[in-house]
This record gives sequence, structure tokens and C-alpha cells, in this order.
Amino acid sequence: MESPQETARDGVIRSLPQTVVNQIAAGEVIERPASVVKELVENAIDAGATRIKIDLEEGGVRLVRVVDDGCGMGTGDLELVFAPHATSKLHTPDDLDHIASLGFRGEAMASIGSIARCRVVSRQGDDGLAHTVEDTGGEIGDVVEAGGALGTTVEVRDLFFNTPARRRFLKRTSTELSRCLDVIQRIALAHEGIGFVVTHDSRRLFDVEPSMDLLARIRRTFGAELADSLVPVEFDEHPDRPGFGLRLTGFVAPPRFSRRDTSRLMWFLNGRFLRDKLLHRVVKEGYRGFLVENRQPVAFLRLAMDPALVDVNVHPTKAEVRFREGRRMFGMLVRALRDAVAQTDIATPGASLVDSMLKRELGPGRSELQPGQTWLPAGGSDHGVIRPAGSGWLGSEPSRPGTGGATGSTDSGSAGWSPAGTGGDREGFRGAQGTSSYPSEVDGQATAATPSAEGDIEAWATTDELRGPYLQVDKTYLLREVPGGFEVIDQHALHERLTYELLLRDLRAGSIEVQGLLVPELVELAKSEVELIGEHCEAIKTLGVDLAVFGPATIAVHGLPARIKRPNVEGMVTDLVHTIEAEGKPPNAEDVVEEVLHRMACRSSIMAGDSLTQEEIHALLSRARELGCDQTCPHARPTRVRFNLADLERAFHRR
Amino acid sequence: MKVLCNREQLREGLAIVNGVIPTKSTRPAIENVCLVATENALELVGTDLEIAIRYRLDDVKVADTGTVLIPARVANEFVRDLSEETVSIDSGGDNCVISSGGDRVELVTIESDEFPVVARFQETHSYPLLAETFNKQIHRTSFAAAREPGRYAMHGILIEIEEGRLRMVATDGRRLAVTSTVIDCPEDAAHRAIVPTKGLQMFSRILSDPMARVRISFEETQFCLKTDNAEIYARLIDGEFPKYSQVVPAEGACKVEADASLLVNKLRLASTVTSADARAVRLVFTEDHIELLARATGRGRATGQMDASYQGSEVDIAFNPDFLIDGLKQCESDRVHLEFNDRTSPGKFQLGQDYTYVVMPITIDT
Repeated sequence: MESPQETARDGVIRSLPQTVVNQIAAGEVIERPASVVKELVENAIDAGATRIKIDLEEGGVRLVRVVDDGCGMGTGDLELVFAPHATSKLHTPDDLDHIASLGFRGEAMASIGSIARCRVVSRQGDDGLAHTVEDTGGEIGDVVEAGGALGTTVEVRDLFFNTPARRRFLKRTSTELSRCLDVIQRIALAHEGIGFVVTHDSRRLFDVEPSMDLLARIRRTFGAELADSLVPVEFDEHPDRPGFGLRLTGFVAPPRFSRRDTSRLMWFLNGRFLRDKLLHRVVKEGYRGFLVENRQPVAFLRLAMDPALVDVNVHPTKAEVRFREGRRMFGMLVRALRDAVAQTDIATPGASLVDSMLKRELGPGRSELQPGQTWLPAGGSDHGVIRPAGSGWLGSEPSRPGTGGATGSTDSGSAGWSPAGTGGDREGFRGAQGTSSYPSEVDGQATAATPSAEGDIEAWATTDELRGPYLQVDKTYLLREVPGGFEVIDQHALHERLTYELLLRDLRAGSIEVQGLLVPELVELAKSEVELIGEHCEAIKTLGVDLAVFGPATIAVHGLPARIKRPNVEGMVTDLVHTIEAEGKPPNAEDVVEEVLHRMACRSSIMAGDSLTQEEIHALLSRARELGCDQTCPHARPTRVRFNLADLERAFHRR
Repeated sequence: MKVLCNREQLREGLAIVNGVIPTKSTRPAIENVCLVATENALELVGTDLEIAIRYRLDDVKVADTGTVLIPARVANEFVRDLSEETVSIDSGGDNCVISSGGDRVELVTIESDEFPVVARFQETHSYPLLAETFNKQIHRTSFAAAREPGRYAMHGILIEIEEGRLRMVATDGRRLAVTSTVIDCPEDAAHRAIVPTKGLQMFSRILSDPMARVRISFEETQFCLKTDNAEIYARLIDGEFPKYSQVVPAEGACKVEADASLLVNKLRLASTVTSADARAVRLVFTEDHIELLARATGRGRATGQMDASYQGSEVDIAFNPDFLIDGLKQCESDRVHLEFNDRTSPGKFQLGQDYTYVVMPITIDT
């Protein structure tokens, strides 16, 4: 930039030339080829395109070409296309209050034009001829006639050719390419009804047909394994008044698909991808107890709501928004999500174990495929349906059709093995109604007895009756046959979950039964800890632990939850103190209660190393089943790992 | 060593001693039974280092005295299946032959000095009593001792001699059984020992003749019992036993008398709906009547009714039915007496003369 001494001669402040203004704006909007791709594709979508072709060269640095079949532009439009703050999407300030288009700021084209060699060719429906205009680093040419198909083609070549400083920040071609693809795939997921084709150096990388729905698009983008495991989410605030209020649709993946990053946790608000803190918290809350810490769930969620209830004009790349009624929304969304998450198949599939085993045996050197990333779709659009019957887990979920209709069918997959009672059951006691209706049992029986509407598929589904014999391995793991395979259960984790849920259920029903102790058990603690306990005695009592301060450094425990079979009083009290200390909240705060119950459950459960009889194992399994959520321990470790026949066949090289 | 003995006596002795001998141990020598032949007797000795037992066979002919260690399980199984009247045991070098009629087994022996030293019965602090009396005290208490891990001292039964009485107490922290009986001892005799429950159950096994006179003895680290042909030693638990005298309530405000076996019946009936780990049966007492109520979230509810003698206003208290049934099964008369103050204080059951059972209630916080 200019040095201060030079500028001082003609006055300190002066207006910047428009080119510089645009270049500065470009710094905000255009960081890398992927940003160009995003702006151009969004423009194409706003133009009403149904098919969009994106051609990239050298990761988009040398060329980004977006060809659409949208409404196109006339000569008048083309004259303004590279002018700053010129847009077709807004006309009056009022329009800002209900933005339905993806773009609206009118900065993108001007910014791109100032830092690359651009050319726009466009033909409107009623024009016989296309027109073109060029912008080379801010030098805008004249609109001239040209040949071209209906719609608009935008070419951006040599990005940052006139701003070498920025060019230096670009990464390797493969990195830039994957960022571009990332953007395109995200947009493709958000826009059902629009087809996308992506090529790189003339090689076709990714495509989706306009007719593909969200699930088919996920399958195409991330592979069949993920797509087949997804559970639909559907929530409508006013189901009887479509288009009014909040509507949530989409899919959640079982916790085992979780990742370190949030790259597959996608929220689409009215067709716009966003990373919003509030929505992120919704998902985190929805997966609470199902996911180990520091793992990010995989979910594809679409939120439709009145544009007036949300402000999208708070962030230059529009990744963040502001909701008018965030608080109210939060609760509703979390509930809808939790129900769906609880229905996912949480068990670790044996397949992944077999995979890792095979990998170990074959050693390194196997081509490293990027997991889940489908680069070149093989064959027809609905591959993945032709899977062997054995791999549709336990045959309980009617295998979803690869294309069409799947998004709407929330009720599929709710019968049969996967804990059907979970949804209703959890709600039952989460609602803290305290009524002693027994939803889990009722639900369970109902689903088992009456085949649902999809009867012909259901009729073939095998029901799992938890039949033995069971094999106990190392007094720690339980093995049993399940229809179409076998499963390995971690006895401690399962029992811990069971104890925890029962304690929680007791608590929500307002009655933890307390078994009094004949002789109070004394626990020595630090003085500060005793004081802390002393403050919260009453609240702790509601958790079923009846204790009192006995001396300056001693606590007397008079009673413990009757459910707890092998009380380790000292451990429990220290856990209690530490939890209260760590959370810094009174012990009847929701999250403290959960943590305390977790620990209690953990301390009093069957341990690894306890030998169990067949009857005990059966009782454990069936009681856990009755409860519904028996797939993870309260610390979200899985309780079971399943192998199906296909896994075994692969392991034994039978196929 | 060379001995001739009666098969039946040998079989019984080996079976009893085998009850103590561990099948797997870090010290292989104690997986053996130690045979000691003296001038006129054969002694079988076994131990798991917590409990030790000496069993003496008198009706034997000893040709050569000596000591030999043989694998306990093999010897026991071989002798059990013999059919001839007499059995000969003959050891020399590093093997031992057990034979009877045409059947024989040759066992490899190991050095007898690897076997731990088992003490002899000390008469100093020993007191005589009837086998039946002692056995009864064990049965009256052992069911109430702790079985779950933790609370080490409660895994034993407290045996006390005080003011001319022998008292035994067992508790798992939630219920407590206490029983006492007169014992022939000097007035100033006072002893106290916590004996592992498992050990005492072993004691009970060798008290086969109810009318036999036996002696018990308190030593520094072990508690011993001597019968005519056996001695058994249990290592004491070193720990603090709850002060039972503070636990047993003096007198309760509510007094109930009921048919013991009928009450067991009704408790079973009501507890059918409760699950294995959450059991509470509420007893509601109205004039001359008990109503039993049980319910379990997610399962259902059950009620039972029975007559009982009770005077006063309506009161209720909830217990773990397993605890009550365990105790009521020991009740020595047809009628059981229950006393308690309120729903949070312990219930005191009189199960027989000098036999009290105290159970802490379950409180349901609503």
C-alpha cells in the first residue's frame, strides 16, 4: 500500500479507487476458489437453474466455470453485472426482512471481477442471441453479442492473478479441489430438484440428478453405508397448517459415524447451508449420552421457517444467522432430534472390526480410499439396494429404496428389533409426569404383536427373542446369537446403563426407594468437602442418598438407593462431592443429577470379571431390552458390537 | 506309613476335609490332604489357610506310622467309589498306594514339610456346649451376614461370651440377627471373635451328632471347635463389627403379632411384581389387619391381605421382602412379633426365645 509520507502531501484521507474497494471486499468474500464456486453456484440457483455444471481446472485456481440453465440476463443486466452493490435480489430496504434468495448483497460479482479474468455469457428466454461481458481485474469491457445456450455461463480464470499476495496463500491443488467439492456437495444436498455435475481437468468427479432426494444425494456423496444407517427426523410445529411455523426434516446417523470435525454435521436453513452456534448446540444436546466427548455427530438437517423469523444479514458469507425465537426453537428441535437419535442402530457393527482386522493382516500398502467419499459413482443411481439380505441389520428395517419417497417415511424402521419403545418410553419419563403408565412395555408388545402397514416386509422380519445359550468370555463379554449373526455385549456397560436408567426413572417418577442402614457408614472427607455436603444434604437426599454431617471431617451415610446392590459407600460419596465441586451447581441441577446417577450406576453394576449364570444373563438382557435405551452405557460407550453373516463370510474369504 | 481302615469312615472323613481344601491354589501343597498315622489313629488334615480341619479315624490298624501328602480330590473320588469294607493305605518313597480288594490307585506324593502347620486345640479358653445348641446359633445368624463385597467385618459372624452367655450376631448393614444362649463358663469369662461365615458353615457340617458334647475355644488369631473326632479352626476377621447393642431398638410403639408362615406367603405373593433389584413391600397395619402392597414402575402392582393382632391407629412401613422372608423362615414359633416406631426406624422381629432380627425399612421419598 501507499506509504503515509506520500499521501500526506495531498491530505491524509481520500476515497479509494473502486477497483481497490472491490479488491478489499473480495478479501472478505473471496478467499479461495471454493468461495468463487459458492458465489457462482448460488447465483445460478437464484436464477432458477435446474441443472448446473461446474468445470474446474487446477483446483479452481486456473478456471471455475459455472454453466446453468436459469433465467439468464439481458444486455442491461450484463452492463451492471460487475458493478458493486448491484443485485437483482433486493430492491427496497424492506426486502432485507424476508430474504428468500441465497445472495443479496450484490458484492460477489464485483469482487470476483476485480481479482480474476471473468467472462459472463448469458441468454434470456425470449432473446434469440446471447450476450457477453468481460471483467479483467476490474477493467469491465463492453457488452457484445455472442453465441450461447439459454441460461448463464460464468467463467473465472486465473484467480488472484493481480493480487500475488493472496495467491501465495492458496494450498495445493488437491486441497483447493476438495474444498470446492465440499462446497458443491453441501449445496447439492441443500437443493433437491437441481442437478449438479462437477468436472476437474475434464474428469467427472461428482454428479447428482435433479430428481434425487436428500437421501439419494447423501448416498451419492457419502456412500451407501452411511445412507443406509440414517434415521429420518421429521418435526412440524403445526402439522395441520403446512408452511406455517417451524419444520424440521432430515436424517441423523448412528453415533458410530461420528467424526472429529463437524464436516458432516449440516444444517440447511431454507436451503442455505449454515454453521450456527445455536443449531450446533441443538445437535450436541440431541446426541447427549450417545456420543463420547469430542466427537461430532453426523446429521443432515433441514429447517424451514418463515424468513421473517430469522436474520441472515449478519455475516458476509452468511454462515451465521440470528433467530428471533431461538430459545423456544431449541427445546422443540432437541426433542425431535433425541427421539430420532435413540432410534439409530447404536451398536458398533462387526464389519468395522473385521475391516480393521483384515487391514492388520494385509498390512499397509492397500490403497487408502478416502472413507465414505464417493468420487465416481459406480453404475446406476440406486446401487446399495442390491445388498445381500443379511446386511440389512436383523432384517427389521425395511430396506429403504435408494431413490424416491424415503424422506417422507418416518414411520418405517420403527418396528421390529431396533428399540421401538425408545422414543415413546424416553418421552414418557422425560416428561416427568410421574404417572405410572408403562409405555415401554406397552409399546414393545404392540410393535411385536401387530405388524404395521408395511406388513409384507415386516412379515419376513425375524424377531429377536433374546434366546440363549450365552457364552461369557473372560467374565466380561457376553456372546449370543442374534438373527442373522451374533453380538458381543459388554456386561458392565449394559448393566450400568440399566441401573442408571432405572435410577433415573425412579427419580423422575419422584420416588427413589431408600434402604436405610442399621449402622450409618462413616466416610472421612476433607473439611471443605464436608461443608459442601452439609449445604446440600436435602438435595442429595432426593437422589436416594441419605446422609448427614457427623463431624468436622466425617459424613454419616444413613441410607442408599434400594436398587443399588453392592454399595461402595465411600466411593459414592467421594464421587458425589467431586461432581458437585466440578459442576459448581447444587446437586439437584439436571446435569449434576445425571452425572451422580452415572457414577452410582457404575459403582454398583456388575463388573468385568463377575461370572454370570445363563439365567442372570437372560434377565440382564431382557430387562435392558424392556427399558429401550440399551445401546450405550451412560458414558456413551457402546454396550454391544454386532457381527452379521456377511461380516463372517468376508472374514473367512467366502466371498 | 502303612494303615488299614474302614472304607466308610475314610470316605466320610475325606469328604469333610475336602470341603475345605481348595481345588486351585497359588500354593499347590494345600491342594493335598495330609494323612498322619500315629500309634492308634489316622488323622486327615486339610486347610485353605483360612479354615483348617483335622479329622481323626480311630478304628484303624497302624502298621507303620508316618505322614504323607496325597492329592485330595483324586483320593476322595477314588475312595468314594470303592466297594470293599477295608482300605489299605501304604506309602513309601515318593508314592502312595490306596487299595481295597482288587482295586488300587498309586498316587505320586509330595514332600510333607511343604504343608502348613495346623495348630492343636487349646483347652485354655475353651467351653463345653451341646452340638445342637451351637449349630442352631449358626443357622439363626449366618443368613444375615453380608455377601456382597465391601464392609469386610460384616462377612463374618460375631461370637461373644459375656456374663455367662454365648451370643452370636450377623449383619449386612441393612438387617441384623442376634441370638444368645446360656453357656457353662466362669462368670468373668469374656471373649469376642469375628469368624468368617463360610468357616462357620463348615463348622456346622461336622456337627453331625446333635447330642454330642463339643468344645469351643477362643484363641488370639483363630476360633476353634472340637468334637469327638474332629477339630476345626477358623482364622478371625480383624475388623470393627457394628455395635449391635445400639442397633437393636428397645421397644417399639407399634406392636404386631402375626402368623409367621402366612406372612411369608403374603410377602411372596405381593413381591411377585417387584423386580429383583428394586424390592419394597409396604405393610399397612390397621386394627387386627395387615395389608401388603407392592408396586414396580413398568411392571404393575400387587396387594395381599391377612389378619394379625394389632391395636392402634393406621401405620405403615416398607421393607425389602427378601429380608423379611429370610428371617421369617427361621422363626421358631408359629407367631412372629414385630415392633417398630415409625416408617423410618428399624423393625424388630422376635423370631424365638433370645432370638431377635432387626431390619431397616425402605423409605420412599415422595
